[in-house]
Amino acid sequence: MAKRILITDDALFMRVTLKNILTQNGYEICGEAANGKESLDKYKELKPDLVTMDITMPEMDGITALKEIKAFDPNAKVIMCTAMGQKNMVIEAVQAGAKDFIVKPFEPDRVIQAVGKQLAS
Amino acid sequence: MNVKIINPFVEASMAVVQTVINVKPKLGKLSTRSEVFTSQSINVMIGLTGDAQGVILFSLGDEVAKHITSTMLGQEIKEFDQLALSAIAELGNMISGQSLMILSKSGAKCDITPPTVIQGKDIRASTLDVPSVVIPLTIEDIGLYEITVSIK
Repeated sequence: MAKRILITDDALFMRVTLKNILTQNGYEICGEAANGKESLDKYKELKPDLVTMDITMPEMDGITALKEIKAFDPNAKVIMCTAMGQKNMVIEAVQAGAKDFIVKPFEPDRVIQAVGKQLAS
Repeated sequence: MNVKIINPFVEASMAVVQTVINVKPKLGKLSTRSEVFTSQSINVMIGLTGDAQGVILFSLGDEVAKHITSTMLGQEIKEFDQLALSAIAELGNMISGQSLMILSKSGAKCDITPPTVIQGKDIRASTLDVPSVVIPLTIEDIGLYEITVSIK
């Protein structure tokens, strides 16, 4: 059975791009969220195998959403995928439990490698 | 507004545009404006907060936007729809993010807002007393892409 991924990004372009990369590599996109709050709600509803999380979003940013998702499910696998790649941001995300941190613009292989590593069974 | 703040934006703009559309843009002469004026039809506005406060404006014409988004989406864009607009906004977001990464090396702690897209012709916007620096990038066979940085 295909592994299920929840994509979180306020940019439609990003959601479409990630969906294409991931589905072409055998993953199922079980949901899309346009902000952190939506991501948290959908995580609780859909229980995905993995979440991709942008940082700069309206309503609730990705770092806050990451912390909320981890509080709900300490085993949640969240990979940050963002334009905000400053060192302090990476440190904060990793300390909050993010499994990986991808900086945009990225090569599709970077995403496949990061996701594959987390979902290898 | 000093060179320490502008240079990261220049560097990031050049690098991200090249990565995203596989064409190295040509950097034109930077200029200053005391009032932001743009006659470009598509504008992406991103707020800058923290140690540096202000606004970054990414401006381009319809044809340039179509070319860029066609490359970003891997398909020819004839009409500027939500998806194409989102791609242009995301380009601005990526340039801003990378600018902040470079800026943070000098110790500056900044954050950006989600983008706002403003479309129209002969838009006139003013940052009042805050000076702006315009970074013009010329993309070969495509056209002009302007990044205006307005920081207090």
